[in-house]
Amino acid sequence: MLEIKNLHAKIAEGREILKGIDLAVKAGEVHAIMGPNGSGKSTLAGVLSGKPGYEVTEGSVTYQGKDLLALAADERAREGVFLAFQYPVEIPGVNNMYFLRAALNAVRRHRCEPELDAGQFLKAVRAKLKELEIGDDLLQRGVNVGFSGGEKKRNEIFQMAMLEPKLALLDETDSGLDIDALRLVAGGVNKLRAPDRAMILITHYQRLLDYVEPDKVHVLSGGKIVMSGDKSLAAELEKRGYAMLADAAA
Amino acid sequence: MAHTMSAKPETAPYRAGFSPAGSLAEKRREAFARFEELGFPTRRDEAWRFTNLRPLQDKAFAPGTATPGAPPALEPYFFAGETHRIVLVNGHFTPALSKIGGLPKGVTLGSAAEIAARQPALAERLLDRTDLVGGQAFASLNAALFADGFVLALDPGVALEKPVEIVYWGDAAERSFHLRNLIQLGAGSRATIIESYAGSGHYWTNAVTLVDVASRAALRQAKLQHEANDAIHFGQVRASIAADARYESFVLTLGGRLSRHDSFATFAGEGAACGLFGAYLLKGEQEATNATFVDHAVPKCATSEVFKGVVDERAHGVFLGKIAVRPQAQKTDAHQLNKNLLLSARANVDTKPELEILADDVKCSHGATVGDLDENALFYLAARGIPADEARRMLIEAFAADAIDCIEDDTTLRAHLLKHVQRWLGRED
Repeated sequence: MLEIKNLHAKIAEGREILKGIDLAVKAGEVHAIMGPNGSGKSTLAGVLSGKPGYEVTEGSVTYQGKDLLALAADERAREGVFLAFQYPVEIPGVNNMYFLRAALNAVRRHRCEPELDAGQFLKAVRAKLKELEIGDDLLQRGVNVGFSGGEKKRNEIFQMAMLEPKLALLDETDSGLDIDALRLVAGGVNKLRAPDRAMILITHYQRLLDYVEPDKVHVLSGGKIVMSGDKSLAAELEKRGYAMLADAAA
Repeated sequence: MAHTMSAKPETAPYRAGFSPAGSLAEKRREAFARFEELGFPTRRDEAWRFTNLRPLQDKAFAPGTATPGAPPALEPYFFAGETHRIVLVNGHFTPALSKIGGLPKGVTLGSAAEIAARQPALAERLLDRTDLVGGQAFASLNAALFADGFVLALDPGVALEKPVEIVYWGDAAERSFHLRNLIQLGAGSRATIIESYAGSGHYWTNAVTLVDVASRAALRQAKLQHEANDAIHFGQVRASIAADARYESFVLTLGGRLSRHDSFATFAGEGAACGLFGAYLLKGEQEATNATFVDHAVPKCATSEVFKGVVDERAHGVFLGKIAVRPQAQKTDAHQLNKNLLLSARANVDTKPELEILADDVKCSHGATVGDLDENALFYLAARGIPADEARRMLIEAFAADAIDCIEDDTTLRAHLLKHVQRWLGRED
């Protein structure tokens, strides 16, 4: 599904952040990428999703056999890459439903599926809300406008469910959530696990992994993956803290 | 540059054929003398320093005459919903295209020329000397040359449920259409008026609307300016707002090569409110000015102003907003905001919000911004698969809709304005 080889990237006209990442994710797998602040987690999410402001200086990213880095951000999304934002953007004046319908129809056009009219779309929305067991209170508001932290993350998960991506990147989706919101978000992620879908959870803390069991855990530090293992690695990190990275290096 | 600085259209060509007759002749002659005395403004006049009158200088636009031609296709401009409709073609009332329909008792609506001939008091008001305010040569020329317009007069306490719709169409090449309108709302009365200016070819619209809102009355006035690409448009509204009355206007500027809208509002009684809202969306080589002047001459009145501009390609948008709070106008509440989106490196915006406060117990604010589309929002939309041009349209529409949303309690009117914004954006459902 996704193969990252020797990926180097820097902030445009700035310093190098990613210093040679190698990572392979297969369909159906859930990988967690953990790491301390400043290790390059968000840069990795930005580079994979096509966020402007980063420059890849070396290496390659292959997604479903295609050169992912050659695609614009909107093309990547239509190809099935979804980024759940750490800080979802507020867009005043753009209604959440209108936005989501535009997004879904862009993806459907790309997949050569017929666009949904307002009625069909509403039906699809209702079905998905029921499946995820979430309310419809956010639908008629401006995109993320005035949403609490938890509501924003819930909206991200809901969008992910509607757009049915092949590769989902969740950038610190767990940060700043109380326990109820965390459960809700984790429940959504678990429901969306599927044999043809890969997920990458980027997180600072282990607690999301109490609710979502990853197939693999990687530790990112200094722009490189310094450790990989199964879910027990996350538990060990939780116990010993990121200081263990220094111990391991010593 | 020296050439444009000196651009000053000649007044002399407009005297050719000026021979007023009838009961208003004397007033028209006075107005013409004022026009000649003032002359057309130049960029040396503070209120006109951002406006290039070159398109008016190139040739004189003789007044349009009533010309029976093929009826224009006006449907795209009509309001969705029932209205009392007046259509003016090339500056003249056109009964065949109008549909005034049944009017409630106490409502006068019709051609300004016809009504002025019957009712001397309204004729008097139609040609009073308020066009001296602001040194507006265009208003004086209008008073001298106007052929027609509309009059809407409501007796006290009358609520006109259906909106009044005025559609102005111009297609007589190189002609000028001087329209003079009067809206008089008696105490406690209520009306909504929706004006649409459209046309085809190279012509000049010069409209003046006089508005009296008596105490406790409420007038909402929406103007959609989608003149032909090559047209010139000047429009001004002079509103007098009495105690506890409300005047609200929305000006949507989409068309014309050179256009300007002036709103002059004066509070004549305490507890009154004025909302001046608008949006201008410009591209190509369009130049458009929205100028407002609100005179807080009495205490305890409120003004709210929101204008939003979207300026693309080589277009030029101008906002001039002045609110004057006189020494006696305590407890004034006045807020003014102008926000602009510049969508191209060659687009240009001049914005000049201005508060002149001479009272000490007031709440006033003003602000202006000029910026680009929000990069973070664009990326968020892209990350959901929305193509770049569609994402831009969504954000531009939302930006303009923010001003339209200032109109409260009228979803049909908001939808009508939004539809025309979407049409401008090339997005129609």
